Amino acid sequence: MVIENENWQHVGETDNMDVEDILRFDHKDKTYCIYKLEDGFYATDGVCTHEAVHLEDGIVVDGEIECPMHQGIFNIKSGEAISPPACKDLKTYPIKVENDKVYIKIS
Amino acid sequence: MNKTKKILILGGGQAAAYAAKEIRLIDKNSDITIISDEKYLPYEKPPLSKDYVLDKVTFDDLLFFSENFYKENNIKFKGSTKITKVDFDNKKISCSLNTYQYDRLLIATGCSNRHLKINGEIILPEENIIYLRSFEESNNLKNKINKANNITIIGGGFIGLEIASSALQKGKNVTILEKGEQLMGRVIPKQIANLILEKHESEGAKINLNTQIENIKKHNKTFKIYLNTNQVLTSDLIIIGVGSIPNTDIFNNTSLKVDNGIITDEFSATSIEDVYAAGDVSNFYHPFYKEHMRLESFKHAQNHGINAGKNIAGLQNSYNAIPWMWSDQFNLNLQLTGICNDYDSVAQRGSSLEEGIIYFFLKNRKIIGACGLGVGGKIGRDIRLAGKLSEKKTKVTNQLLSDKKNKLNKI
Repeated sequence: MVIENENWQHVGETDNMDVEDILRFDHKDKTYCIYKLEDGFYATDGVCTHEAVHLEDGIVVDGEIECPMHQGIFNIKSGEAISPPACKDLKTYPIKVENDKVYIKIS
Repeated sequence: MNKTKKILILGGGQAAAYAAKEIRLIDKNSDITIISDEKYLPYEKPPLSKDYVLDKVTFDDLLFFSENFYKENNIKFKGSTKITKVDFDNKKISCSLNTYQYDRLLIATGCSNRHLKINGEIILPEENIIYLRSFEESNNLKNKINKANNITIIGGGFIGLEIASSALQKGKNVTILEKGEQLMGRVIPKQIANLILEKHESEGAKINLNTQIENIKKHNKTFKIYLNTNQVLTSDLIIIGVGSIPNTDIFNNTSLKVDNGIITDEFSATSIEDVYAAGDVSNFYHPFYKEHMRLESFKHAQNHGINAGKNIAGLQNSYNAIPWMWSDQFNLNLQLTGICNDYDSVAQRGSSLEEGIIYFFLKNRKIIGACGLGVGGKIGRDIRLAGKLSEKKTKVTNQLLSDKKNKLNKI
């Protein structure tokens, strides 16, 4: 059973995502992105740290998310900004999968 | 004991900074020195016409790497330094105070602004006639735009249009003069140029295409601009963006091969041994297109610098990135990938700027280029995927590309 009181939020089902897919999840006034990589699910803030653009419109290449506006690149697992114009890291969030459901922990 | 290899980099822009970083990643021991005529460490230029003018960023936001990065990586940066003499035979570069010996040299001197000529007379920058390239010029531009009311922008290319967008957002009256029959005519297809024109006009810009300037006269602090259409404009600030010229003058009278930039191969090597060139100044051989090209864009400056760095450090690494560039005007993001000419058909994807509009240019059913315009990041993914499809020479149909239900990453 999922413990909702630890701020785990249900974001979607595992079956609905292919590898390199991005899922946008809005919660309160914030946006998050959930990614499916070869080895599991990951989550970051949903908006680029360079300009306020949604990363859901970006592209995942080799474990990195490329911003759709200026191709700034972040490592999905660490959030590290690895190519300009992005220079500030993205925040990352824990993800867990239970009974084919994907949850993000927002603290 | 081997003596320490000396690597000298001329120019202090993006290509120089990223080449230095890459060389240091591979080679921990070489002596790396960057010589720049600017006093600032390498910084981003795209915001100089946009976010810096609109006070959305400060100069510190623009630096690629902090001062600490150069110290920690033992990369010497000599700013405010002009090159006075180049001696390729003896591998020596002279500046006003010093002479530098090199084992390997990277030329990343970038471009300068082309000056407007009217009736053979060169229009140089002066008070209230502005060209934009450096941070200091952007500072001046911002101050002058803030004080001006009626601004005339000469040149309907990227720089002119981005500055127009910034000035219009500051509530100024803006007139754009372009001698060609469309905006951004050097690289942007007409379909997208027309959408940009409509956007600027809807934001209040007056745009005159097919327009030549016959004379500019200054009365006190006001300019009268006489056009070939018999119209006379009155303006208190003139901003000129009519292209750029690679910085190669210092190499005149040397054996370095120069033709619209420094001729390099796919490894950034020039016609002289141990001399490399990268970024805007390099007219490089592109193995994918099998021709030489010179590109002026953020991504290219960075990746070309990185690639030159690899080759200087001893790796043999070919540069074959598909060209990609962007421009931001108002809330719209324009992107171009590949080369949008010599095509035999065009496919349109999307019909509104809110969802993004992309034109794909095809030859023999393969994408050779794509150009799009949309709000925020709406076109980015498909433009990126178009670049990949072009690189892979994947056969496609117009129908496949036009229908937004077809995901391009599934082709």
